[in-house]
Amino acid sequence: MMDSYADPGTPDHRSAARYLWWLTMSQRRRVAGGAVIGTLWMVCLMLPPYLMQRAIDDGLQPGRTGVLVGWVAALVGAALLNAWLGIMRHRIMTRVRMDATFRTIKVVVAHSTRLGAELPRKLSVGEVVSIGTGDVAQISQTLTITGPGVGAVVAYLVAAALLLSVSVPLAVVVLLGVPLLAVVVGPLLERLQGAESKYREQQGALTARIGDIVGGMRVLNGIGGKELLAGRYLRGSQALQAEGYRVGAVTSWIQALSVGLPALFLALVTWLAARMAAEGTITIGTLVAVYGYVAVLVVPVSNFIEGGYDLTRGLVAAGRVVRMLGLKPAVEDAATVRPAPDAPSSLHDAETGVELAPGRLTAIVSARPAESAAVVDRLGRYRGSAATWGGVPLADVALAEVRSRIVVADNDADLFSGPLSAVVGGRSEHTGPAIAQAVRDAAAEDIVQALPDGLDTPVQAQGSNLSGGQRQRLRLVRALLADPEVLLLVEPTSAVDAHTEAAMAAGLRRARAGRTTALTSTSPVLLEQADTVCYLVDGRLVAAGPHRVLLASEPGYRELVARGDHEPATESTPAEEAVR
Amino acid sequence: MTAQTEAAPGRLPIAEPAEARRAAVRLVRQDGRAVTAMLILNGLAAAAGLGGPWLLGRIIDDVRGGAGAGHVDRLALGILCFALAQLFLGRFARYAAHRFGERTLARIRERFVDRSLALPASVVERAGTGDLMTRGTADVATVGTTLRDAGPEVSVALVQVLLILAAMLAVNPFLGICGVLCLSGIWFATRWYLRRAHAGYLAEGAANSALAEILTSTAAGARTVEALSLQERRIAAAAEAVERCRVTRTHTLNLRTVLFPVVEFSYIAPVAGILLLGGALRGSGAVTTGAVVACALYFWKLAEPLDKVLLWLDQLQRSNASFARVEGIGQVDAPVVTGGGEPVDDRIDVVGVRYAYQGERDVLHGVDLTVHPGERLAVVGPSGAGKSTLGRLLAGAEVPRTGRVTVGQVPVTELDPAQLRRHVVLVSQEHHVFLGTVRDNLLIAAPTATDQELHAVLAAVDVDWMDELPDGLDTELGAGGHRLDAQQAQQLALARVVLADPHTLILDEATSLLDPTTARHTERSLEAVLKGRTVIAIAHRLHTAHDADRVAVMDGGRVAELGSHSELLAAGGGYAALWKSWHGA
Repeated sequence: MMDSYADPGTPDHRSAARYLWWLTMSQRRRVAGGAVIGTLWMVCLMLPPYLMQRAIDDGLQPGRTGVLVGWVAALVGAALLNAWLGIMRHRIMTRVRMDATFRTIKVVVAHSTRLGAELPRKLSVGEVVSIGTGDVAQISQTLTITGPGVGAVVAYLVAAALLLSVSVPLAVVVLLGVPLLAVVVGPLLERLQGAESKYREQQGALTARIGDIVGGMRVLNGIGGKELLAGRYLRGSQALQAEGYRVGAVTSWIQALSVGLPALFLALVTWLAARMAAEGTITIGTLVAVYGYVAVLVVPVSNFIEGGYDLTRGLVAAGRVVRMLGLKPAVEDAATVRPAPDAPSSLHDAETGVELAPGRLTAIVSARPAESAAVVDRLGRYRGSAATWGGVPLADVALAEVRSRIVVADNDADLFSGPLSAVVGGRSEHTGPAIAQAVRDAAAEDIVQALPDGLDTPVQAQGSNLSGGQRQRLRLVRALLADPEVLLLVEPTSAVDAHTEAAMAAGLRRARAGRTTALTSTSPVLLEQADTVCYLVDGRLVAAGPHRVLLASEPGYRELVARGDHEPATESTPAEEAVR
Repeated sequence: MTAQTEAAPGRLPIAEPAEARRAAVRLVRQDGRAVTAMLILNGLAAAAGLGGPWLLGRIIDDVRGGAGAGHVDRLALGILCFALAQLFLGRFARYAAHRFGERTLARIRERFVDRSLALPASVVERAGTGDLMTRGTADVATVGTTLRDAGPEVSVALVQVLLILAAMLAVNPFLGICGVLCLSGIWFATRWYLRRAHAGYLAEGAANSALAEILTSTAAGARTVEALSLQERRIAAAAEAVERCRVTRTHTLNLRTVLFPVVEFSYIAPVAGILLLGGALRGSGAVTTGAVVACALYFWKLAEPLDKVLLWLDQLQRSNASFARVEGIGQVDAPVVTGGGEPVDDRIDVVGVRYAYQGERDVLHGVDLTVHPGERLAVVGPSGAGKSTLGRLLAGAEVPRTGRVTVGQVPVTELDPAQLRRHVVLVSQEHHVFLGTVRDNLLIAAPTATDQELHAVLAAVDVDWMDELPDGLDTELGAGGHRLDAQQAQQLALARVVLADPHTLILDEATSLLDPTTARHTERSLEAVLKGRTVIAIAHRLHTAHDADRVAVMDGGRVAELGSHSELLAAGGGYAALWKSWHGA
């Protein structure tokens, strides 16, 4: 069994076929074991018919009880052997499939982490979900052909050898006939692939409609429109049913042929052998034996056909995995990496002119939030730009160093499931007091207190058991605990009430004292805390200075941040008083 | 609002086995003729399958008796015909089964959607949408697999089994019954297995979902993973989930390790038993050799179809559970709208309302409030004060534990949804964009609106991005189509409200995601559109309160302060302190 914690290795993602081959070769000993046991099992399937025939001919027919008991005992022995071989084959093949499943999931997860911010831009979440649910299962199912598939080939050869010893013409018919069967069924399989993929697509779209209806239930309950959506779903469902009929017309042929063609073939061979027996070329006993051998051959031949069916579907699934594995991160290290400044240095965004002074708290204000967020994206190097860090172009610094020293905390950053302490802990372990301090600074103490097991309470994926404001404060806890040299926060208080916001602003100031910090916001409570406010208009820096200076000097700024407030700004209270 | 965790009392019901069985029988009856045709075709195909061995026996006997090649040709041609007949009959039997499965699946999922849409809002609120989502996607899919894939296979196999058993009993009832007794090992092993399998596969399924969740969340949150250098954490989490998966899958594999060998051996046991018994009885002349051989061969043939049935037992068991969950939706009592009559006016009264989420402490402790027609009321207060809960009670989405919420003296919970909607509409910060075009998204609020009206409404809520859409109102939205950002989605939601045209509007943080400029524009245009209407705005930004006629400050589930902005400022209470802190500079 593959150690679940082991490195999955480097996948070969040049093509779907190569990927399947890589999965096979990554566990070659197990696959080889499966092939051996699978082959033995399939060959031993020929034992019981032979033993039964002997029991009838030598024991039952002449009425010799001793001989009958002997052959029946051998038959029971063979049944036990086959039962053992059968389950061993199943156990090994199940483990082969598990290995393929887990290996694929591991390489996909690992590659997701390598792609980082680029992944959501290139693939929809749905596509990754379909890899995790459908494709992985299909790929591992395909690997089943490595065991019974090989066994089928060997069993086929054994049966052919037995037939050769009986009659050369018969053997030739069988040896040519079986490959012919595979060739006949091949084109059908391709048609099936096309029909199935269209069905799957429609089925996925229809499932998405259920998700859409359930997700929008609140809106539907409030505003109405249920009949409209129900009608649209009904049309989609009926269209899928029609498509299902079309697929069924093809799959029913394939399933019937995969049983029927070998049966037809058996009938032909039997006919040939029966004529030979009638002409006296072979004996009656041989005729029965031939019938038995060819009947057993049905198993490997159906295996060929099922294997082909699995392989075509497996290649489609592997194709999706390979496409995902072939994606490349958007931002990568330049050919020549230049050293970053050793000491905390200023970050400069060439496009807007925003400058973050080391050790200070800077706020970026714009009427369009996307504009401020873009500044953060450039300074955090999530997109190529001419931004500099202590005079060094940011694009020339090793990406790993940028990521570890400059951290961007997005407003909608994901919260992963796990105990709360791990959710806010981020990449490293933290001491209790450190977490408690960060929780205080992010004004999140009430969240921890309200949860049944405090920091050990499990948080669901996306923090779905928490409110928007609670999630936002936990994101701040996580960002503060990461304690990077430079912290860039996007709208860190957009979802909390005014009271909480004031506490968060003060806590942020306290936690980041003397550290380079930037945030985007238009809330006066936060802006009041900043050393410098950079005011952007149409993507350019038009003014920089303390909040109160800008309030006085920039009418546009004042209107933006103090909206709805028509009273004179001079009536202000000192910041300290405002906070506590 | 804190999400409702899976509190047992709020859960959606699951159909009892008997009820699920009745529902399944109804589905089969609905398609009675198709099912009959399917069974007949299957029976004919299985009978054709038995023809080959029978003719082979005749060939052997006749060749032994000195028959010529011509006679053998005729019989062999018969074998070929049987094989062909089996192929064609089998194909059409499968096709009939496939169509039945497809049709029944469509019925099940369509009924599921209809029933889901008929669920009372409070039931959905309480159960959470997650459960409904799982039933609608995973459970419907499991039932689908059974109907589309297992159904045709199992129906073919079952008919074969029955036919073979019948043939065997016809040949020699005594030997046949003895053989069936030898099969009893299968029954015991299967019972043992099925008792354990359900829990085992449930655990396996849960571990699989957890693994898929890790994969999904890592992919969806890839930017966060990169930003916070969580790569190793995520990889370790995946490894842990893989390990859990491995353990559960190994457990089910061990269960199969008991079942499979017993079953496989059991196929040979009756053959051996019949041979021995036949040997003993033949001495006394009770049976012929031919009968013994025929019986033994029929048992031999039984293995294949029986195996198919057993192979799908897991799937059948799993889909049983899924079907019970899908059908369970139908057991939610439809809301009894007692016909509270027409509201006499547009006044809203909240009297002594207390409210608790399922099994928890009260979150509202006796709220009294009157909202006058045309008034603009702002509800402010810290998170968890009960603002959103009050909003949902006002909109009739929740039923108060004690006290009442009335519009024009009629309790809101006694108005049917369509009626209520003309009076009160809640706009939450959830701004769901439905799959479909921009027009589809708007028409849900007013099915008969013309394009001209739609454009007018979009303009009213300050939408200036229609020109950016490739196909105007026909632009497809959502996954695969055009993606709206948060503020555009919110504007769309507001446009829907304008179309719905209620006299009272509850805005629950409705503009919180808009950037300042847009929010202001939206609020202004809304104000123009909703002139003369009642607006209850739940907000954490205080400028909303500043502009309102009255402000209700909520704290700890009570209305702590109530009055106009200037009155509250003058009172110098909590609101005044908050205003000063927000006002900051």
